[in-house]
Amino acid sequence: MSGQLLSANHAAAIGAALAGRANRTGRGFVSGVYPITPSTECMELLCNQEIEKGHVVRVESEHSAMAVCIGGAAGGARTFTTSSSNGLAFMAENVVAAALLRLPVVMVAANRTLGPPWNIWADHGDTLMLRDTGWIQMYCADNQEVLDTVLCAFRLAEDRRILLPALVCQEAFVLSHTMARTHVPTQDEVDRFLPPLDLPGRLVGTARIVGGLTVPQTTEVHRAQHHQAMGRFFEVYREVQDAFEAVFGRRPADPVVPYRADDADVLVVSMGTIGSTVERAVDVAREKGIRLGALRVRTFRPFPAELLAAAFRGRPRIAVIDRNVSLGFGGVLWGEARGLADPGAVVQGYMIGIGGGDVRPEHVLALAEDVASRQAAGAPVLMEAGA
Amino acid sequence: MGVTETGRASIPEEIPLPLEVRVHGRGGQGGVTCAKLIATIYAEQGLHVQTFGDYGSERTGAPIRAFARVDTVPIRNHNKVYRPHHLVVLDAALLGDDVLDGAEPGAVVLLNTARGLEPFADRHGRFRFAAVDATAIARRHGIGTSAVVIINTTLAGAYARAMGLPWEAVERAFAVQGLARDLPAAREAWDAVVSRAADEGEAAPVRRAVPAPNVIGIAEHVEDLPNPLRTGSWRTQMPLYLSHAAPCNAGCPAGNDVVGFVQALATGGVEAAARVLFRTQPLPSVCGRVCPAPCMSACNRGAYDGAVHIRGLERWIGDHVDAEGVRPPRAANPRRVAVVGSGPAGLGAAFALASLGHDVEIFEGESCLGGVLRTGIPAYRLPEEVLDRDIGRILALGVTARTGTFLDAAAIADLAATRDAVIVAAGLQRLTGLEAPGVLLPGVLQGIRFLDDVKRGAAPRLAGHVVVAGGGNTAVDCARTALRLGAASVTIAYRRGRKEMPAIGPEVDEAVAEGVKLALHRQPVRVLGEGRVQSLELAEVELGEPDASGRRRPVVTGRTAAIPCDALLLALGQAADLSIVPALPNLFTAGDMATGDGTVTHALGSGRRAAARVLASLDGEPDPVLPRPDLDSLVAPAHVRFSHFHVEPPHAERHRIGAHALGFDEVNRGLDGPSEASRCFSCGACTHCDTCMLYCPEGVIHRVGQGYRVDEAFCKGCGMCVAECPRRAMAMVQEASAR
Repeated sequence: MSGQLLSANHAAAIGAALAGRANRTGRGFVSGVYPITPSTECMELLCNQEIEKGHVVRVESEHSAMAVCIGGAAGGARTFTTSSSNGLAFMAENVVAAALLRLPVVMVAANRTLGPPWNIWADHGDTLMLRDTGWIQMYCADNQEVLDTVLCAFRLAEDRRILLPALVCQEAFVLSHTMARTHVPTQDEVDRFLPPLDLPGRLVGTARIVGGLTVPQTTEVHRAQHHQAMGRFFEVYREVQDAFEAVFGRRPADPVVPYRADDADVLVVSMGTIGSTVERAVDVAREKGIRLGALRVRTFRPFPAELLAAAFRGRPRIAVIDRNVSLGFGGVLWGEARGLADPGAVVQGYMIGIGGGDVRPEHVLALAEDVASRQAAGAPVLMEAGA
Repeated sequence: MGVTETGRASIPEEIPLPLEVRVHGRGGQGGVTCAKLIATIYAEQGLHVQTFGDYGSERTGAPIRAFARVDTVPIRNHNKVYRPHHLVVLDAALLGDDVLDGAEPGAVVLLNTARGLEPFADRHGRFRFAAVDATAIARRHGIGTSAVVIINTTLAGAYARAMGLPWEAVERAFAVQGLARDLPAAREAWDAVVSRAADEGEAAPVRRAVPAPNVIGIAEHVEDLPNPLRTGSWRTQMPLYLSHAAPCNAGCPAGNDVVGFVQALATGGVEAAARVLFRTQPLPSVCGRVCPAPCMSACNRGAYDGAVHIRGLERWIGDHVDAEGVRPPRAANPRRVAVVGSGPAGLGAAFALASLGHDVEIFEGESCLGGVLRTGIPAYRLPEEVLDRDIGRILALGVTARTGTFLDAAAIADLAATRDAVIVAAGLQRLTGLEAPGVLLPGVLQGIRFLDDVKRGAAPRLAGHVVVAGGGNTAVDCARTALRLGAASVTIAYRRGRKEMPAIGPEVDEAVAEGVKLALHRQPVRVLGEGRVQSLELAEVELGEPDASGRRRPVVTGRTAAIPCDALLLALGQAADLSIVPALPNLFTAGDMATGDGTVTHALGSGRRAAARVLASLDGEPDPVLPRPDLDSLVAPAHVRFSHFHVEPPHAERHRIGAHALGFDEVNRGLDGPSEASRCFSCGACTHCDTCMLYCPEGVIHRVGQGYRVDEAFCKGCGMCVAECPRRAMAMVQEASAR
């Protein structure tokens, strides 16, 4: 059996370094990094990588980390950073800038609860806070997926039809610090998968200001273009999947990953590692004769509305798990998915694993039983998992 | 990746697959790496693994868990381990229901303990137990620090042996994780681990239902919630509130509690400060003017933004305190002691004895008390009324003074016969002369006599150029007094450099500001003149090898030059006349006569020590040893957290310049207020600044009365409070169990 025993943080850093080296015949690699638990291991390993024509800049804040990426990307470099939680909150202004300037920055977020009070454990609330900033958002379920998604993210982000920054999400500790066997591709393979970045309109020669004042009509056009680029994602992603499989011999997962969903009486929809744990619960339920199925939403932005609507067709009861609370509303994923089911279907929201609560197969079975017993959806339920 | 048959075949059949392992340890022991190593051992056998830590508050000593899963297929679920097949416990003190929670009968428990298997047989018979003293092994191999032994790698070796895994897999795992260095310790544990089988037929464990803690709403409190992590046996050191010696206190020859009175002034005002000062200091207004202030040279603030102006504060207290001396209650066994001489040593001794309720008589040859303070220090530095006030406070304690009575050796012997004891503090009566041709010419005067004459109103008339020979306070006093008496110009000739001058620095500065010239590295070698001094030959002096005092020995050269000179004042030092001190058992000496240190503060300390010696001697006790702090207990600049203090330069005293205009009015008008006291770092003495409380990451330091209490049940011994204490009022002490 091949592969190295790596944490997902290290897998992400290795992926970024491989991608960075792959741009050595282009404008090289630039990364601005600032540590924050639990993403620190990723930036630490990246700082220790030898990257030809690469420069990892240790700055004084997350805001500056993204600023370095913006500058590097504007100059045509392949760019990467990593952060988490309140670090992302502090970075937010430049997160928006990277997207609105259409710069293909790739960022790995270790999803951590926003504080205070301080809590270092998993919660999707931090990256979902950045939902509307114009970034691609993909959520991972295991170590291999983190490495593979980082590589795919560069190719997607840098595709001329898209040209958008991409956020690769992995939950704090349960994924960021979990070690599992991970296949690390060779540089040669990555070179074949990731062509050098040729950013249109990149800064050359004389320095100049980017992102000056604009007028309403210009912004209207820019927003339309940005939105249309998002709309091309799924088409381009299929090509990326094909190319990836051709080089590495394995196919990256779809934007929505079904698991024993076709004949399910109850469908459980979730994101991240919970989606992986749900699969165990599905197996347990099936052994008992319960027809449980699962959908894992891997790509959250752009939102895979059509894929979800197709998967929901004919499914009478749908439980949507959110590891987040949109305060005053409910789960964010539930809010977006609930209108996609068949008329009359019960789409019930469950918020669980908040603040790092440990979501176990038992919890999934319990909420599946709950949704099966409902005749109509109620208010979203916040469940305590504890740890 | 399919089922790994070779993987299954490479591990013992007793190990179930999927396997779940849970590691329990404390922050700092390396539990997460232990789980990682265990997973790596299985991975090296060709199995799928997953391992992660359950990170807690990430502080030393906090209980942490780590997990490993092993299977023949990729592991999908990402939750923690609740039904462990193997439990690895890094600290035996953790072993309790919560650690064993979820383990079925027959589960394996590997324990790090020095006590072997025996103590656990009764309570935990349903589990298979393995034990190894990993702490001792890791310590022998030097893994970790002296305070915290890291046992994860050692325990991994024991784990492999206890579970029947091959040693080669351990070697490969250590190589993969870059821990090959620790293999010898792992091998020792591999050899040392002992185990016993589980008893059969015992009931399944009763799992404790742990109610979820009641969570207080975030809107309902503003303080941090108490941390629920008890420390257990992990801690090796504890913080302790412990005062250390401030350098100012250690540096005060009079033995004053300097940091005590300065802090009392800052927080309680003049009267509170005076109460501290009067324990040891009878002459605050005098010392506040003329002391060379070794406390200020030692002050830790000197390494930051300038020493605290302690002398100025002492003066402020002495000048502003309302308290008249109050007669203390008589001693239980009052002694009758005569003190000969009323200089600072005599006054210090009298004050110390009278404060304890003994009968003290002072014998002074001059008509007024004060000794050299009265005769030798010019009024522009120490006004008469200031001296009178300090002495008045001493007399108010019930001290009797007999002035105008010079006592010779015989008289002192008579006194000793009728008193319990006599303390002789007659000062330095012998004046050092100048060995040079022409010193007998009129116009050559001893400086100390000159100053005395001036104080008596018998000042000689001076004109033209006056030269003072010497570099001490007497020399500077002579020079400035000469200016005030009408000298056109004054030069101090000193054989060493400016830095070597024993006089108080600012006094020299003032003298220069008033117009006194310094002829440094110069020594008078010939006095010339007809009928009286008219000029002076000065030789250049070079500095040679250091002498016994560490100062470089002056070497007079043959290079000379003559300067005009209308009067030469000699301030070359004084010596004691010990012929007046008969050898009697109840007779003691004090002050310059005994020590020759030459400052008021040294004399005060000497007087106080003499008083203590007298009382001890009369009680038949050995000489009391006044405690001096050892170097280790002193607060050094490195102990002070400068970042806690704003930069604030010292307050300056208000000096008036102009010798001719001022005459003998006091030049230095002192500080304009006591606020300088707030600059004191309070080295070594707690000020209840709350820094320890605020920095405690556990929130287990509480205010109690006039201090703080550390909750030992929760303190993890991290030492942050001690590291953050701005003034070394705390220390970490080794736990008895860790010594």
